[in-house]
Amino acid sequence: MPSLLFEIGCEELPASACREAEAQLRERWLTTIGGEQGDVFVGPRRIALLVTEVPERTPDEWLQGPPEHLREKAAEGFARKQSVSVDDLEVREGFLGLVVPGRPIEEAVPEQLEAIVRGLAFGKSMAWERGGLRFSRPIRWLCAKLDKKTIELEVAGIRSGHLTFGHRFTGGEVEVPRADDYAETLRAAGVEPEQEERRRLILEGLDEIGGWRDPAGVIDEVVYLVESPAVLAGSFDERFLELPQRVVETAMQSHQRYFPLEGARFAFVANGGDPATVIAGNERVLEGRLGDAHFSFERDVAKGIEALAEELDSITFVAGAGSFADKAARLQELVGELGGGEASREAARLAKADQAAELVREFPDLEGHIGAEYARLAGFPEAVCSAIEEQYLPDSADGPLPHTEPGRVLATAERIDNLTVAFALSQRPTGSRDPSGLRRAAIGLCRLAVEGGLAINVAQLVQRDLALLVEQQAEVTDDPSDVADFVLERLEGLLNAPVEFVRAARAGAVTELGAVAQLAEALTAQASTEEFEHAYVAFDRSNRLAGKADGAAGTLDSSLATDEAELALIETLGQASPRIEAAVAERDFPGAIAAAAELGPPVDRFFDEVLVMTEDSSVRANRLRLLLDVRDAVGALGDLSQIPR
Amino acid sequence: MVRLMSAPTYQEMIASLERYWADEGCVLMQPYHTEVGAGTFNPATFLRCLGPEPWKTAYVEPSIRPTDGRYADNPFRFQQFFQYQVVLKPSPDDVLDRYFASLEAVGIDLQKHDVRLVEDDWEGPTLGAWGLGWEIWVDGMEVTQFTYFQQLGGLELDLIPAEISYGLERLAMFLQNKRSAFELEWAPGFTWGDVYRENERQWSIYNFEEAPVDALMRRFADHEAECRALVERSLSLPAYDQVLKCSHAFNLLDARGAISVTERASYIGRVRNLARAVAELYLESLAEPAV
Repeated sequence: MPSLLFEIGCEELPASACREAEAQLRERWLTTIGGEQGDVFVGPRRIALLVTEVPERTPDEWLQGPPEHLREKAAEGFARKQSVSVDDLEVREGFLGLVVPGRPIEEAVPEQLEAIVRGLAFGKSMAWERGGLRFSRPIRWLCAKLDKKTIELEVAGIRSGHLTFGHRFTGGEVEVPRADDYAETLRAAGVEPEQEERRRLILEGLDEIGGWRDPAGVIDEVVYLVESPAVLAGSFDERFLELPQRVVETAMQSHQRYFPLEGARFAFVANGGDPATVIAGNERVLEGRLGDAHFSFERDVAKGIEALAEELDSITFVAGAGSFADKAARLQELVGELGGGEASREAARLAKADQAAELVREFPDLEGHIGAEYARLAGFPEAVCSAIEEQYLPDSADGPLPHTEPGRVLATAERIDNLTVAFALSQRPTGSRDPSGLRRAAIGLCRLAVEGGLAINVAQLVQRDLALLVEQQAEVTDDPSDVADFVLERLEGLLNAPVEFVRAARAGAVTELGAVAQLAEALTAQASTEEFEHAYVAFDRSNRLAGKADGAAGTLDSSLATDEAELALIETLGQASPRIEAAVAERDFPGAIAAAAELGPPVDRFFDEVLVMTEDSSVRANRLRLLLDVRDAVGALGDLSQIPR
Repeated sequence: MVRLMSAPTYQEMIASLERYWADEGCVLMQPYHTEVGAGTFNPATFLRCLGPEPWKTAYVEPSIRPTDGRYADNPFRFQQFFQYQVVLKPSPDDVLDRYFASLEAVGIDLQKHDVRLVEDDWEGPTLGAWGLGWEIWVDGMEVTQFTYFQQLGGLELDLIPAEISYGLERLAMFLQNKRSAFELEWAPGFTWGDVYRENERQWSIYNFEEAPVDALMRRFADHEAECRALVERSLSLPAYDQVLKCSHAFNLLDARGAISVTERASYIGRVRNLARAVAELYLESLAEPAV
């Protein structure tokens, strides 16, 4: 069976587009051309596929016509449309139709290849002629070979041929004699077309140099930035090593896609050129970037972190919520509220100092790291410095939490303040719009409580923060109290508990985030026990009757109780209620459930034997009160009616 | 053309680019007379790229970016630097080869160096403009931005232009092997620093410390109103200058730290609305025969 090569020659594709094409191509050829065996080649200047063992003919196709019972009416028309006679029509599964024989692959392939070009989808695409084909970057040539034969097709004004192009500056135009020769033809023209082979060559080159690192993971991009990888190493002035390590690494990786090596050295992957010349040029570029950073670093360090912190009153945090100095003042109060000690307070005072640093203006992603480094240089205790460094953690839904207690405290205060400010200034996230990442901040808070073990009473902290904002004369336009609900809602997706259990727990007597989480998990764990069932019944039956009824007495009056079942319930309630309360306060939720369970049988008996809605209005009011008291006692465990039974 | 044996001076490099692009059939324009942040803002690019008429131009453009000033203390950052701007509308199929030949024209041996095209998508929010393209690196140094415009003034384009913006200081630093723009040889006996150091210092003081905030806010509003009035009178070219003046006033206010994050978006939106109105008017005027 023949081999088919198809190459789409492009101006330099972004790495992301290469990966998109790579992910789609195999599927495209399987659904159009068929043939199981083959390879996909993707690089900056080409997207290609080589299918070996292409079927010689396309499969026969069943073209379905009208249902058989409409033969008299419709068969003739259908046959005429397909240019066959009625006698040629067959019947399958109750329908008239026609087997359209497959075509030789040569005939079918041009349109299939065109469909592949037009079918590739890119996240970002462009036109290079008005109304023309959209592609990641302009297509400049097409090469299509079925074994030795050149397949002719035209897409968007580009005609296919038998030529490809080697390395842009050294390879030139080359002929592909046979489809199977594609990769070797390109290798001879200075191009390694196979992405995995390029990756292997790059890794091999880096390993030969040794001691390389890739903290930002640029290798996955570099594989698609070169066709002719040459791994080279360069060095830079050692004085730049006094820069914070993250700054040096970011200067290397974020824009230049270099790999840090030990000491004042770096590796990079070139796509050609004379190695000595190319190394010298790249060294100059990196030294320029590091020189730029060092220039800012020296000016920042000459000022020192205290002086930077003093500049914060002239830097706006959020319009309407004052300066970063105001923010730092709030953070200091909040860490106190969170039980943070001296290190937390000192870290909060200096947390935002690096917002005044020139280096942060150049490397905004390194806020926190730079502040921490400046605090270290100023001789602050490591607990303070690492808390400054960790204040933005976790920075993603499953990113690591701060490692230190002061770090967790400061990170919590930071999120509480961001949420309170946004809600107080009427900048709540709506729908998919959450430009300041408030949902992520709320998830971070939940994780700091659940995994970090920090006691976080959101409502209380928000009130404290709001008071501070008002004192600072912030332009408060909204009540931020619903921050607490906003945060608690995030628990729903985080815990090992169904949503309904989390919702139930949120209505319980505990408000601290971690406690709500524990309660939800305890309810989930006990849900199928008999005890839980009793507690549930006590809550549910009393709530169903009394929850909606009017006219309950203000307080329970035992002297109005006459019935034995009623007296029994009052007695059990009197014993169970304080035990539930105490257990919940100690976060002994299984104990609380056990205590609440004791109310189940007396509630059942009460409903069997006592008529609540009796004629005597004072007795009725008292019985309703009794049921409400039962519900509220068990309700310390949450709104159990949320839980489906 | 004579191949330069030693590194070209700054002005020789510019002369080589002028000669090269003139030979390619470009109209050589001169810098625009109103402050612009990039050559794209020059009406020879922004307006001429609208409409169905082919256009080829090349020119030096001083880029005025007040926030980038560093009082002449920093060898890499300036409130004024120079771009060499080339527009080819429509972009020819071999546009990249023509660009690479221009690098050879200034003395870069393409076989000896590592010349790379690295994805860089461009967006000009104040102009309602975007395009896809690359940064072009020579041995890791970004010397040019290359963009296929897709929209200008929020409008689709009749012909897709290629915009080639050389960073002249970076290109010269590469050619002359210099670590600071101030050390570049501008002409024999004169460095870039000799010509512009004091300019950087004084303008940095003006941009960051002296530019009058209240007056600039008033001016912004005045230029905005004038632009609207001129659009009403169907005078797209004078109206466009008012867009540029608004944009520059905004840049100065930004340098003075007078614009908060939230206000920023609103200022940018106001400039963009003006740019769009002018672009629409300009297109209409192209469609009507001149009176």
